[in-house]
Amino acid sequence: MTATTAATTGSTAPGAAGRTAARVTDAVKVYGAGDTAVRALDGVTVGFPAGRFTAIMGPSGSGKSTLMHCAAGLDTLTSGTAHVGDTELSALDDRRLTLLRRDRIGFVFQQFNLVPTLTVAENITLPLDLAGAKGDAEWIDALVDVVGLRDRLHHRPAELSGGQQQRVAVARAFAGRPDVVFADEPTGNLDSRSGQEVLGLLGRAVRQMDRTVVMVTHDPVAAAHADEVLFLADGRLVDRMESPTADKVLDRMKAFEVRT
Amino acid sequence: MNTSVRLSLSSLRSHKRRFAGTFFAVFLGVAFLTGTLVMGDTLRSGFDSMFGEANGGTDAVVRSADVITTPGESQGVRQPVGTSLVKTVDHVPGVAAAAPNIQGAGQLVGKNGKAIGGQGPPTVAGNWITDPTLNPYRLAEGRAPARSGEVVVNRGTAKKGGLRIGDTTTVRTPDPVRVTIVGLATFGGEDGMAQVTFTGMTQADAEKYLTARPGEAASIQVRAASGVSQAELVRRLTPVLPKGVEAITGQESTQENTDTISSQFLTIFTTFLLVFSGVALLVATFSIHNTFAIVVTQRARENALLRALGASRRQVTGSALAEASAVALTASAAGLAGGIGVAAGLQALFPAIGFPFPDTSLVVRPLSMALPPVVGVIVCLASALVPAVRAGRTAPLAALRETAVDSSGASRTRAVAGTCLGALAITATLSGVLVSPSVWLAGLGAVLALAAFVVLGPVASATVVRLLGGPLDRLRGVTGGLARRNALRSPKRTAATASALMIGVAVVSLFTVFGASLKATMDQTVSRSFAGDLAVSTPSFGAGGSGLSPRLAGAIQGLPEVDTAVGLGQGVAEVDGKGRALTVTDPAALARTFDLGTVQGSLRDLGADGLALTRKEADRQGLTTGDKARLTFTDGRKQTFTVRAVYGQSELAGDYVITRAAWAPHRTQDSDTLVAVSLKPGVSAGAGKAAVEKVAARYGDPQVQTRDEYAQSSAGGIDMMLTLVYALLALAVLIALLGIANTLTLAVHERTRELGLLRAVGQTRSQVRAMVRWESVLVAAFGTAGGLALGAFLGWVLVKASDGASDTAFAFALPPARLAVVALVGITAGALAGLRPARRAARLDVLRAIATE
Repeated sequence: MTATTAATTGSTAPGAAGRTAARVTDAVKVYGAGDTAVRALDGVTVGFPAGRFTAIMGPSGSGKSTLMHCAAGLDTLTSGTAHVGDTELSALDDRRLTLLRRDRIGFVFQQFNLVPTLTVAENITLPLDLAGAKGDAEWIDALVDVVGLRDRLHHRPAELSGGQQQRVAVARAFAGRPDVVFADEPTGNLDSRSGQEVLGLLGRAVRQMDRTVVMVTHDPVAAAHADEVLFLADGRLVDRMESPTADKVLDRMKAFEVRT
Repeated sequence: MNTSVRLSLSSLRSHKRRFAGTFFAVFLGVAFLTGTLVMGDTLRSGFDSMFGEANGGTDAVVRSADVITTPGESQGVRQPVGTSLVKTVDHVPGVAAAAPNIQGAGQLVGKNGKAIGGQGPPTVAGNWITDPTLNPYRLAEGRAPARSGEVVVNRGTAKKGGLRIGDTTTVRTPDPVRVTIVGLATFGGEDGMAQVTFTGMTQADAEKYLTARPGEAASIQVRAASGVSQAELVRRLTPVLPKGVEAITGQESTQENTDTISSQFLTIFTTFLLVFSGVALLVATFSIHNTFAIVVTQRARENALLRALGASRRQVTGSALAEASAVALTASAAGLAGGIGVAAGLQALFPAIGFPFPDTSLVVRPLSMALPPVVGVIVCLASALVPAVRAGRTAPLAALRETAVDSSGASRTRAVAGTCLGALAITATLSGVLVSPSVWLAGLGAVLALAAFVVLGPVASATVVRLLGGPLDRLRGVTGGLARRNALRSPKRTAATASALMIGVAVVSLFTVFGASLKATMDQTVSRSFAGDLAVSTPSFGAGGSGLSPRLAGAIQGLPEVDTAVGLGQGVAEVDGKGRALTVTDPAALARTFDLGTVQGSLRDLGADGLALTRKEADRQGLTTGDKARLTFTDGRKQTFTVRAVYGQSELAGDYVITRAAWAPHRTQDSDTLVAVSLKPGVSAGAGKAAVEKVAARYGDPQVQTRDEYAQSSAGGIDMMLTLVYALLALAVLIALLGIANTLTLAVHERTRELGLLRAVGQTRSQVRAMVRWESVLVAAFGTAGGLALGAFLGWVLVKASDGASDTAFAFALPPARLAVVALVGITAGALAGLRPARRAARLDVLRAIATE
């Protein structure tokens, strides 16, 4: 099975490109209180269009991870709103937030992405299993081929290389066909070849399977795989760049560092 | 301050919660031990001062020098002395007063018609000694008995029976005697001598009802004139005493009394409790070892960093041990205080439940202060030693690796060593049980079996947990599957955690199986040897009760429904120099109501000079029918008996049987312990029972039971013992559960990031809780399963060893319902132990969990 057929079976709604998969409006996040208060997000409004690969860039402490965590329902905003599809996250209690993450969001983290006691196959279907859902066997089968792990399905994570582990994580993120997949520095712990593979997978998932990906990174090369790059500095959205290349992103980042 | 010490203190400060489990394990063990020691000492000193005070006026005791002790009795039976000796003693210069002391069994009947006491402590009746300094009891209210039928009772007994001065009631000696209470007495300032009931009569009444022949007393109490010491008094008394009678000082007598109480009750009581605190501490050892092992592994990076920075192995090991010592010392100190608190609490509680705890302040000997903390520290340090040494061995490079989690499985060496131990255990046990019966060999086998179970735990844990957890995947989906795999993660850790519970459950099952076997044995004994239809006995236990009237059997025999009624009394005599219990009965009737097995010779005409004995005893003594045996009775007389019959089964009839005629010249206070009744053909058990009950009501209303009821009630005491044992073992099980909870808390801590990931990808809080809880249940189930298997095996060993070591044929029984309850309790407890770690796991903040290094 090829990625192309997977893309047809995998499309959720026709014309998804016009919708916003997730968005935050006037997002403010303050950590601590009083003198030690830190404004990690300072009024950010941004939408992540469905069927697009968006990268969030910025220097350390710019608030990019906080933005992602709040948009993904892992953290709550101090003020402003966050939506996944049409669901307002602040209205949800912990249980419903968890179910939303399970059913409508996929995650790829920098490290420690897999449950060590489960096999590769079980890790991929973990969110579905947690929901007690069967999942779409054909889709998952296709995913396994896309990430190229068919011969590793019954291995434990400890028996895989870092790159392979991250590919399992990518497969798990897409297994339930979520509205949006959030990736937090997915290549941060990988060598450049493995990193390229993982980024390639994320790109293909968006372009050939019509998925939506939001990726936080500080690596211009990684950001270049995205359709659009958002630049954050001091908790504010300072710039966006369509059709990025590694050089253009690097230049833009350098400009920040000069300014700040 | 030393670097190691400083490091360990700062580590303790930052990881207080990790050591909570260790702290409580040591605390509970030490508190139990301290409580036991302090209570034992306090009771002993209380009895000491009680006897001292009560016997303070007695300077010498004159009594028979010969005592016949039968196996299993600590006190022995002493021949009475003649009351006429009082006059002789009175004339000895230096004697101020002398009084006979007549004692026997006498059970009072309370206001409600029920007998008072009888479940353990003695029920005593005696003469009221008029010389106040010689009488251990003091008159508190009313007056001394002056006429026949008047009695003084101790105040505690009166209270319990709802009796007041002026009341008329019955005292069973065992023949019912109508008495009027004219006075209430105290003993050593208390309402009584512990729970002993005392009825004081006039001397004439006492001689009439409590001795076989008037003119006899258990002893003569003597008070010295001023200026004559106790030793001097004894020196003066000795020459005037006839042969076979001795005089001892009052102090010696007090000491003997105290020793008797000590050996009969206190020593057994404290040893019993000490054994259980030992079990609790053993269980604690496993829990503590496990905690330290996990902490050391979790801290591998920190230790590696220390090593990389130049800390020596010794410093790292030292710091781990210092940590253990600090926990041990704090916990022991707290346990010491807790134990004294427990003893003080019991001292306050006992009088409230009607047990007059001797009124003394708590006796805290240096040993009770020194021993428990030393044991606590040793247990803690010994448990921490191996992990501490391992901490010292951490390679500096480990600092660079991921957080280390010990997931090593069982090594081949372990499997081989465990199997060898197991084989050795089975060999020792089987040869100790089956080949050449030896309790020591069987005991060695039992200890080896325990060791083999502990060593093989990690080898078995993977398989057993997989098996036990098999249904979880299907039942609980991925949550159950995760729980099962978490339990399988570190077989060593799972096994070590479960070991603590295993030992607790093993001891519980051991007692359960042994108790059930004892019951089955009694049942079997009764159904095999008791050929009668009804049994009449008094519901008594221990030294209490007064037995049955010897005339009861005759009265029942007179009923038209009854074919045979035979009373069994007890006597003692020395047979060829060794004390033996005799069954005094009508041997011909005995053969009709008891199945005595094959009888060689005839039980019909033993006469006054014949005896019958069991095959076993006959073989042991090398006797056969027609042989002569020399019996020495408590009155010092020797008599030659002819063996007229040898019978096969001894279980209810005893080893030696003589006729009432043969016993009569040597008898003391007469009573039967059992009257066996067989009914005439065609009489239903119900009708027979009703008829017998009517007669029995006139003789102190003893219990009339059918054969089945008798078999069941014989086992009644066992259930009571088991309940006590369960209560004491609850502590060990509690410690084991603390261990499970602690291990899980540590495991949750070390899996923080994994839990964070699970939560991020959609595991709900309740799923997290269920996962941790099920893991706890699995570990507990593993420990429980091992404990049940080990306990059942040890129970079998104990039963078989007892069988080999005693004359009674022991039956082995596995009580499925009771063992199922034990299993259920173990597993439920596992679920409870998992509650707190599960709550903690579910409370984890997702973001912080993923971000944790």
